[in-house]
Amino acid sequence: MRRVLVTHLESPVGRRIAKALFHDPDVALVVGVGTEAEPSFLVPYRGKVAYQRLDLAKARHLQSFLHSERFARARVDSVIHLPFASERTGERVPGGISSLVSETRRLVEECVARPAIERFVYLSSAFVYAPEPGNVNVVSENQLLGFDGEGDAAVRAWIDADLVCQGELHGSKLAMTILRASTIVTEAGEFLNSPPLAHGETPVGYDPMLSVVSDRDVARALVLAVHADLPGIYNIAGREVFPRSQLRENARKFGPITLPAPLGGALSLVEQALGRRAHATSFHRYGIVVNTRLAHDVLGFEPQYRIEVRGQGAARRIDTVRCR
Amino acid sequence: MSDELVVGEGPSLGSDPFTQSDGTLPYLIRLREQSVRLVTEARPQPAGRGREALSEPPDLGPPIPELPSFDDGDESAGALDRLASWLLTRSDEERLVQLFGRLDGRSYDDFGLSPRVTRRALGFFKLLHKYWFRVQSSGHAAIPEKEGAILAANHGGLLPFDAAMVVTDALLAAHPPRLIRTVVDRWAGSLPFVNIFYARVGQVIGSRDNVRELLDAKELVLVFPEGMAGIRKRAADRYILQNFHIGFVEESLRHRVPIIPVAIIGADDQAPILWDAQPLAKLLGLPFFPITPTFPLLGPLGLLPYPVRYEILYGEPFRFHEEFSAESADDSHAVRYMAEQVRRRIQEMVDQRVIARRAKRA
Repeated sequence: MRRVLVTHLESPVGRRIAKALFHDPDVALVVGVGTEAEPSFLVPYRGKVAYQRLDLAKARHLQSFLHSERFARARVDSVIHLPFASERTGERVPGGISSLVSETRRLVEECVARPAIERFVYLSSAFVYAPEPGNVNVVSENQLLGFDGEGDAAVRAWIDADLVCQGELHGSKLAMTILRASTIVTEAGEFLNSPPLAHGETPVGYDPMLSVVSDRDVARALVLAVHADLPGIYNIAGREVFPRSQLRENARKFGPITLPAPLGGALSLVEQALGRRAHATSFHRYGIVVNTRLAHDVLGFEPQYRIEVRGQGAARRIDTVRCR
Repeated sequence: MSDELVVGEGPSLGSDPFTQSDGTLPYLIRLREQSVRLVTEARPQPAGRGREALSEPPDLGPPIPELPSFDDGDESAGALDRLASWLLTRSDEERLVQLFGRLDGRSYDDFGLSPRVTRRALGFFKLLHKYWFRVQSSGHAAIPEKEGAILAANHGGLLPFDAAMVVTDALLAAHPPRLIRTVVDRWAGSLPFVNIFYARVGQVIGSRDNVRELLDAKELVLVFPEGMAGIRKRAADRYILQNFHIGFVEESLRHRVPIIPVAIIGADDQAPILWDAQPLAKLLGLPFFPITPTFPLLGPLGLLPYPVRYEILYGEPFRFHEEFSAESADDSHAVRYMAEQVRRRIQEMVDQRVIARRAKRA
C-alpha cells in the first residue's frame, strides 16, 4: 500500500491523478499540495486525499511542511512531482518559471535525505529533446536534450529540472522515474506541456508533426510508475500524431474568423520582423514524435484514449475518446 | 495566500485520512462493497436463468473489414482529389485501400504519412511512371509480402525522381502493394514545403531512430548508400557507383532484415551534370550547384528531368543477417565488406542493362 505525495494537485493533470489514486486499491493515502485553495474537485475524494495549500517554490514553506507532524503522520513513501503540468508557458507562476527548477531541486534533495521516501516520479516533457530538421523525427529516450540558450524559457526550465532529476537516477537509493510526456490534451481540448502550441505561428513552409496524449493516459502512466519499482526515463505519448497547424487552428481565430494557415504563418513572420513576437524556435519548424516502446515494454503503459480532430474551420474541435 | 504557513490547519477534511491507520480505509471498503453490489445487479443474467435466451445470430462468415477513407479531417473534396479520382483506376484505388488499412483509421502515421496526400500524389506520379519515364521493372518477387527489408539502390539525376519511381512502382506493380519509405537527406528536411510533402507521402529523414522505428514496424526502407555523391556526380561518371555509406548494413544486421539490391537505369540520364559550381553552392548554402545543359539557362524549368526511359531491377536479396549475428554490426571491417558486396552487385546489374541498352541502340 503506497502513501503518495502529489505536488501541484490543483493542475488539470493533478485532477486526473487524484481520481486515479483514489480508485487505486493499492494506494492508502494521497497528500496533495498546491498553491491555490483546495480545489472543489477534491471534495468526493476527501476520504483518501488530503490537501495542503503551500508554495513549494518557497524554501521555508517546503521545510515547514516536511518537518510538520502532519507530514510525519502521513508516512509518505512516494512522490509525484508535476511542476510544469499546471501552466502552459509558466507566465502565471509567481516566481517565474525558473522558480519551478529550484523547487524541483529542493524537493529532490529533501526526498533523498528522507529514507522513508522510496520513489520519486517526475513528469517532464518531450520538448526537452533537441529538434532536428524534418517534418517529423521519432525520438527515443537517449536522444540528446536541446540545450539552446536562445530557446524558449519554458523549455530551458524543463531541461534544467529534468537534469536535476536525472542526477538521482544512479547512485541514489531513491528510485527516480522521469516520464517525458508529449503534448497533453485535456478533456476540454486544451493543450498542456507544449510550447510550440502555446504561442507563435508556424513559419510558412513548415508544419511539424506532434504526438499528443490524453491527460487521463498521463495520469495512468504516473500511477504505473508509482507502483513499478523501475527507475529510469520513459517517453509517454498516445497513438495519434497531428500536424501543428491542425492543433493550432483552435487558437488562431479573430472572432468568428479562422485565419488560414499560410496567412497565419506570413503574419507571424511580419510580427517577428517588427519585434512583436519572439523568434520562432526550432519546435515551430521541426516535429518530435516520441518512441514509447520502453514505457510499453517496461512500465506496461498502453494509451487508452484516442485524440480526434473533428469538424472544419471555426467548428473544429478536439475530442478525447476512449479506445474500444 | 499568506507567506506564513501554519501546517496542520489545512481545510477541513470529511474524514481526515491522517487519522486513519494503515490499510484500506473503512470508507473505501464501504464504497467498494457498494460498487460491487451495483455492478453485480446490473450484470445481465445468463440465458436460461430468469431471462429468455437469445437465438444465435445466423452465420454470415467473417465480418467485412471497415475500409479506411482517405479523409484526414478536411471534408471537402478538392480539385486535386477529383483529379486523382480521374487518374487512378479502380485497381489502383483498391491497392491504396489495401495499403492503408493498417493505419487503423488514423489520419497520419507516426511519420506524418497522410493517405489522402499520398493518393493525390500517386495520380501525378503514375503519369510520370507510365508516360514520361515509361518505367519497365522486373524482379518484384524479391519484395517481401509482409516483412521488413532494406532496399539499397544507386542514385542519380539531380532531383530524386528515381526514388519517386521506385515508390510508385512498388505501389502499382508489387503484389501485394507495398509502400516503400525512402530515407532522405537531413538537408531536405529543412527545406520549406519540401519537408511537409516528403513526410505526407511517407518519406522519412535519415536518422538512425527513424530507420529503426520503420524496420521494427516491418516497413520497406529505401536507401541510397551513395548519398549526395550519387546525385551530384558529373555526366562523365554516370552509372559508376560512388562509395557506399555502411549504415544500412549495420541496421540490416541489427534488425535481422535482408538487403534487396535495386538497380535504376535512366536516372543518370535525366539531368546530366556538366559541372558542379562549388563556390556558388557555398555562397548559397547549398550542398552543390549543378550546371546542366538546361540549368540555370532555363531557370527552374531547367531542373525538369528529360523524358528518358527508366528501368528498375530488384535483385536477389542479401541475407547477411542469416550468416552473421547482430553484434557483427559493430565490426566496421566486416560491415564495410558487406556494403561493398552490395555495391558490386548493383554495379553489375546496372552494367548489364546499360550494355544491353547500348547494344540495342547500336
